[in-house]
Amino acid sequence: MLEVERLSVRAGVFRLEEISLTVASGECHAVLGPSGCGKTTLLHSILGVRTPVAGTVRVDGRDVTRWPIERRGLGYVPQHLALFPHLTVRENLWYGLRARGLGGREWSAWMEDLIHATGLKSLLERRPAELSGGERQRAGLVRALATRPRVLLLDEPFAALNETLRRELWWLLHGLQRQYGLTVLLVTHDLGEAYFLAQQVTILWNGRVLQQGEKSTVYRHPIAPVVAEFLGVETLHPGRVLRVEEGLVTVQVGQAQLVAVGPAQVGREVLVSIRAGDVMLLGAGEVLTSARNRLSARVVSIQAGHPLLRVNLDAGFPLAALVTRAAAEELQLEPGRPVQAWIKAPAVHLIPLAGQAGPSLE
Amino acid sequence: MTPPTPGCNPAVGGAKELRPFRPPRLSILAAYAVLSIYAGLILSTLWFLDLGPLQSVARSERTWFAVRLSLGAATVAACLALVCALPAAYALSRHRFAGRSWVDAVLELPMVVSPAALGAMLLMFFSQPIGQWVQEHAVRFVFTVAGVVLAQFVTVLGVAVRLVKTAFDEVPTELETVARTLGAGPRHVFWTVTLPLARRGVLAAFVVAWAKAVGEFGATIMLAGTMALRTETLPIAIYLRLSTADLGGTAALILMLLCLGLGALAVTRQLLGRATHA
Repeated sequence: MLEVERLSVRAGVFRLEEISLTVASGECHAVLGPSGCGKTTLLHSILGVRTPVAGTVRVDGRDVTRWPIERRGLGYVPQHLALFPHLTVRENLWYGLRARGLGGREWSAWMEDLIHATGLKSLLERRPAELSGGERQRAGLVRALATRPRVLLLDEPFAALNETLRRELWWLLHGLQRQYGLTVLLVTHDLGEAYFLAQQVTILWNGRVLQQGEKSTVYRHPIAPVVAEFLGVETLHPGRVLRVEEGLVTVQVGQAQLVAVGPAQVGREVLVSIRAGDVMLLGAGEVLTSARNRLSARVVSIQAGHPLLRVNLDAGFPLAALVTRAAAEELQLEPGRPVQAWIKAPAVHLIPLAGQAGPSLE
Repeated sequence: MTPPTPGCNPAVGGAKELRPFRPPRLSILAAYAVLSIYAGLILSTLWFLDLGPLQSVARSERTWFAVRLSLGAATVAACLALVCALPAAYALSRHRFAGRSWVDAVLELPMVVSPAALGAMLLMFFSQPIGQWVQEHAVRFVFTVAGVVLAQFVTVLGVAVRLVKTAFDEVPTELETVARTLGAGPRHVFWTVTLPLARRGVLAAFVVAWAKAVGEFGATIMLAGTMALRTETLPIAIYLRLSTADLGGTAALILMLLCLGLGALAVTRQLLGRATHA
C-alpha cells in the first residue's frame, strides 16, 4: 500500500502543492495530467530522487519520506525504460537480485515464472539495443518486478509504442497485476491507458490535484471544466438551471432543454457535459423509454474514427454522438439528415461555472 | 529539358539537376592543412638527423634514463590524476554543493597560467613554512623524481577532471535511479552502472593525461630542475641538447619522444577500441 500525504515539492520555479493519494494493495492507481503538470516530479518524490519540502510518503504503513531510494521497496519503470545498455537482458533482469544478494531456488522459480509470463526466454542473451520496442518494455517490467517491490511505479511506460503493441502490453500488465496482486502507481497522459489499467484515478493539473476517485466516476462526472476538457468530454456547452423538481434538474442549453440528475440551484450557470457514448441515435418513430431526454437533431458532419464514427449534431446546441458503422448505415446518416438523439438524465452532467474552485475553462 | 528524376522534388531543385552529395571541400582542405603543419615539423626535424648522433644518443645511458623517467613518471602522474579525477568529476557531474563553481573554475588553471608558471608556483609553495614542513617531514619534491611526478600530476589533473566529468555527464542519471530502486547502494551503482558506461571517456581522459604528462616541460624544469640521471626527463634532455647547439642530438631525441608517444597512444587506442566494443 502506498500513501502520499500532503506532499509538497519544489523543482526550480515549479511546485507540487499538497498532493495526497492512496494506492491500496493490489490496486492500480493512475495519475493523469497533461505534460508539465508535475507527474514525473511526483513520481521522483515518491521514489526519493527529490526531497519534498513537506508531507510524507508511506509504503505499507512505514514512513519512507527520508529513506534512501534503495530501501523504499519501490519498483520503477521510467518512460525510456533505462535498461542498462552494457548488460545483457539476463544481467539486466538479475541486477536487482544480485544487488540485494538474493538467490536460491525460490527466487529462480519466481524469475522463471516472470520470464515465462512475458515471453522473454529467447531474448536473455541479447543486449537491450538488439530488442524491439515491445521486448524492451517487457524487459523493463520484469526487471522492476524481479525484486518483488511493494509498489510498482510506472512513468508513461508505453508512450513510445504503436497502438497495437501498447494494447498488447496493457493486457500483459493487467494480467500480471491480477496474477501477482501488484500494487501499481501509473503516471500517464493517455486516458485510454488509465481507464484500461487503473481502478482509481487522480487528475493532476499544474502541480495540484483537481479530482480524485473511482475511474468511472471521474470519467463521467468531472468536477471542473478543465478536467472535462482534459478527459475529452465531447459535448461541453454552457447552460442555465431552469427548474429543480424531485432531484431532476431542467437546464436550458442553447435552444434545447435537458433533464439532468443531481442537486442544483435555479438560475445557476452551468457547463453541461455529455459523453458522446451516452448519446443514442434512433430513427423517427423509435422510442427509448428509459431515456428522459429526446432531442430532435440534424446531422452536421460525420467524422471517421476507429472503431466508432463520431456524429456531430445540431440539437439546439452542438451535440456529439458515437455510432458503429453498421448503425450509421442503418440510420442512413449523412449531413443534413434529421435524427432523434436520446440521452438518459444521469448521463447529463452539470459542472457549476460561477464561483467554482480551480482553473476555469478558457 | 530532361524528365525529372523519380524522388526529386522539382519545387526544391528548380530547373537545376540535383547533384549527389559531395563532402565540403573547404573542411577537407582544413583537415589536410592540420596534417601538413605537423608533418612539416616532423620532416624538418628529420632534415637534421644524422646516423652518428642517432647512434650515440641511442647508446647513451643518460638518454635511456630520461626515457624511463619520462614514461614512468607520466604513468604514475596520470594514474594519480585519474584516481583523484574519478570522485571529483563524479561530484561535479552529479551534485550541487557549496563552492562547486570554484572547483569548476580552477580546472582550467594549469592551462591559463602555463605550466612554467605552475612550476614556479609549486616551487614557491615548497619555499613557505607549510611546504618546507612537507619537504622535511614527508616527501622531498624540489629537485627530486617525486618533484617530476608532482609537476606532471598538477599539470594534468585539471584536464583529467574535466574529461572524466564530461564522460559522467553523458551517462543518464535515470539509469542510476533505476539501479537504486533495484536495491543497489550509491557505490554499487557507481561501479556497476556509471563507471562501465563512462569507461570510454575515462580511458580517453587517462590517455590524454598520460600524453600531456610525457611531454610536460615547464613545470618539471621549475620544480625538479635539470639534473642528469636524476630529474632529466626526455623533454628536458631535448632542451639541454638544443642549448648546446647539438641539432643532430636534439633531432634524435625528438624522434625518440615522437616514436614513444605515438606508439604508446596507438597501443592505448587499440586497447580502448577493444574495451569499448567488449
